[in-house]
Amino acid sequence: MPGATIVSRDWDDVAEGTPLSTGLGTSAQGQELHEPLRGWASFSATFRVMFKEEGRKSIEFAKKRQIVLFPLLLTLITALTTVGLQFLVGDSSAQVADIEQKTFTWGELRFALHLPLLMFSLGMGTFAFIGHDAIVHRAGTKNYLLAAPALQPLPNSVAHFAYFIKDLCFYVMLILSPVIAGMGLGILLETFNGVNTPLEWSSLPWTWLAMIITLGQGLAFAFLGSALWMRGRPYTIFGPLAIVAFGVAVGLGQVNLDGVLWGLYVQSNQSPLIAVAALAGCLTIGLLASALIIDDFDVSVVQREEMFVPIYNRLGFLGDGEIRLIVAKEFVDLFRSGSIKKMTVSYAVPLLVLLGMAWLVDFAEAPIPINLLSYAPFLGFFGFNFYSWLTILDSPEFMNGLPLRVPQLIRAKVIVYFLATSWISLIFIVLMAWQLDEWTSLPTSIIVMFANSIYIVALTAFLMGLRPNKAIFDASVMIWFWIGTVLPLLGLFLLSFTQGDVSLYGNWWERASQDGLAATSAMYDQSMVEQGYKGMLAISVCLLGASALLWKLMDRRWGKAEFSN
Amino acid sequence: MVDSEAPLVMANDMAKKYGDFIALHPLNVEVHAGEFFGVFGPNGAGKSTFIKLLTGQLRPSKGQIEVLGVDAVADPQKVKANIGIVPESESPPSFLTPKEFLEFVARLRRVEDIEAKVEHWLDWFGMDEKRDTMCKDLSKGQRQKVMLAAAFIHKPKLLFLDEPFANLDPIYQRKCRQWLLDHVKDGGTIFLCSHVLEMAERMCNRMAIINDGRVLAAGTVKGLKKNEQETLEDVFIRLVGRSIEDVEREEKASETNEGSEEE
Repeated sequence: MPGATIVSRDWDDVAEGTPLSTGLGTSAQGQELHEPLRGWASFSATFRVMFKEEGRKSIEFAKKRQIVLFPLLLTLITALTTVGLQFLVGDSSAQVADIEQKTFTWGELRFALHLPLLMFSLGMGTFAFIGHDAIVHRAGTKNYLLAAPALQPLPNSVAHFAYFIKDLCFYVMLILSPVIAGMGLGILLETFNGVNTPLEWSSLPWTWLAMIITLGQGLAFAFLGSALWMRGRPYTIFGPLAIVAFGVAVGLGQVNLDGVLWGLYVQSNQSPLIAVAALAGCLTIGLLASALIIDDFDVSVVQREEMFVPIYNRLGFLGDGEIRLIVAKEFVDLFRSGSIKKMTVSYAVPLLVLLGMAWLVDFAEAPIPINLLSYAPFLGFFGFNFYSWLTILDSPEFMNGLPLRVPQLIRAKVIVYFLATSWISLIFIVLMAWQLDEWTSLPTSIIVMFANSIYIVALTAFLMGLRPNKAIFDASVMIWFWIGTVLPLLGLFLLSFTQGDVSLYGNWWERASQDGLAATSAMYDQSMVEQGYKGMLAISVCLLGASALLWKLMDRRWGKAEFSN
Repeated sequence: MVDSEAPLVMANDMAKKYGDFIALHPLNVEVHAGEFFGVFGPNGAGKSTFIKLLTGQLRPSKGQIEVLGVDAVADPQKVKANIGIVPESESPPSFLTPKEFLEFVARLRRVEDIEAKVEHWLDWFGMDEKRDTMCKDLSKGQRQKVMLAAAFIHKPKLLFLDEPFANLDPIYQRKCRQWLLDHVKDGGTIFLCSHVLEMAERMCNRMAIINDGRVLAAGTVKGLKKNEQETLEDVFIRLVGRSIEDVEREEKASETNEGSEEE
């Protein structure tokens, strides 16, 4: 029997590239070779275990009780909203005639249902990035089935398609179905309590189907975008350009949004044929996206210049404690992982949308008293996403062996968030001031924006610690988060109506109460402006105080936790 | 017709580069049926890259790779379907139980009588009590056992093992070693990567020592030694070029230099 042989050659002695395969003459030595599972067979084998895996992943953080509470909460909120629909669409004795001018139309409500759903699913569907992260981190403490193709005879494309379908099913189960159940509950209340709700039983299946289509569309498009992005140039250049062009086209009214939102179109037309075509369209795009995923399991081995000490030296203002060390480490993670680009873009996109809204509202001279101070709280709101990204950059489990505590890491992440994003928010608020020509409100807006920004991230960090992505299905956390964010945001938003161009909007609230969207102003009250201004500053100071309190309480809540994300 | 001379594994100028870093210089390798071939080297020598290239886990920057008559670059899935791989540091999926993971792997590999095979390997590795525990809650050694069972479950003729016993206790190290030796006796072939030289002495009939992505020497274990007195550790240090003493000497020299510069 001939023995094994092995020899090396110099790199330059061998031509670049993989030569055309001519066969090297190896043999299976009589062993019958199996064909790997492909197509439907490999999809079904993978999907089943992935579904199980997802269930356990969700339950791990939220525990069994909360995983049930979250859909229940959604059901209850939707039931209440359904009961309140009569006031929104004007189908109530409380409303007067001329309904269309004073309330929303069904079309507007449907649009308000589908657009946020699409935005949500676009944010959740970047499966190519998720898959890449799973493969890169498969040697870490947590490994997922999405990384299985690296080792098992399973095409990466099949694993990604199974992940897409699994996520779609989970969102339908945990979000869309409870929402529909809530609508059903709302209609039932009509029967038992004489509440008047304009929603019909017959519209529920169509609403459910239409929402699934919108969700599927968002997930599929985000999946396609991420798959193209992972293939590098030219997609990384033309992709963002196409998105910007599309946004401009929408802004200029060149695109019919009813056609863009497939689910909305299906709900409006209620044609089974269109519904099937739209569903097939979502699946086809998902399939196309998964076909674009390549079997690349490279984890680059790249040598880098020292970055830790230079960053650490620049952070002298943080003192000499552990926080400074952790912040420096987090910044190294942020730059080295390449996430800084993705995160900056994901942080800036919602701000761009707000800027676009400011432009549209200003351009259209809409009778809505929105001004610079109305946008300021929302500019600070998007810290949640950025903080979530920060928590999944790297596994923190190695810190369990170091003389560090979880609250220190959480605080360090909040600091990193503030240092990495505050300049972006500042640029946007200045751009908005320029757009709306409201320079006098700029200093107050900056205070409101930063107070909100710090507060939202402090609240997120306090409630969700190192696992904000998993906390989304934890009802108890989400209730507190909802209360903690919506109340101050709403307060600031409403008070902002007392500011800006008050000669036009002075008594908007009173008029809006009477005339709905057709409201116009008629009088101007200086004392209301002053009170509103003081109120906004008072809320901002309270938010900063609350942030300081949460910062202090971080030790109590997370002091005994272990490093794990 | 079976060509008994034909190798099971062959790579022609197989090489891997990450940016400017050459992880593995162009390398020609042939492994034949019935061999227990070991690749040894210090940490970061390129051993894992070597095994990942041969098993279709990585695409080479240069060269051709063929395993069991299948082009590993063009059809890595078919290669993976017909071999067994035990990776160095990868764990089974965290949220599946050992039983579920083995069922999944067996299904992907078209194993017949899945339930019996899964039971057999869970029992063989002493994992009966942990069969329904999620893998994230297992110890490192138990996770390693699951990965070994996943590689053995379809009883592949050709096995690629990367530091397979790193986390196993001595009892299961011995049990696995014996199983692998029996497997080779029965006509199986094993390609092993490790830095534990004792494994070469005990198991391999041929071995290679690599460092900095290059093969320094290859042959039988006995053939690599200069004389009867030389141990495999001596061979390793001689070839790799640095011993603990060398490192200490270099450190002392650099400290002395720094001291004289300061003066």
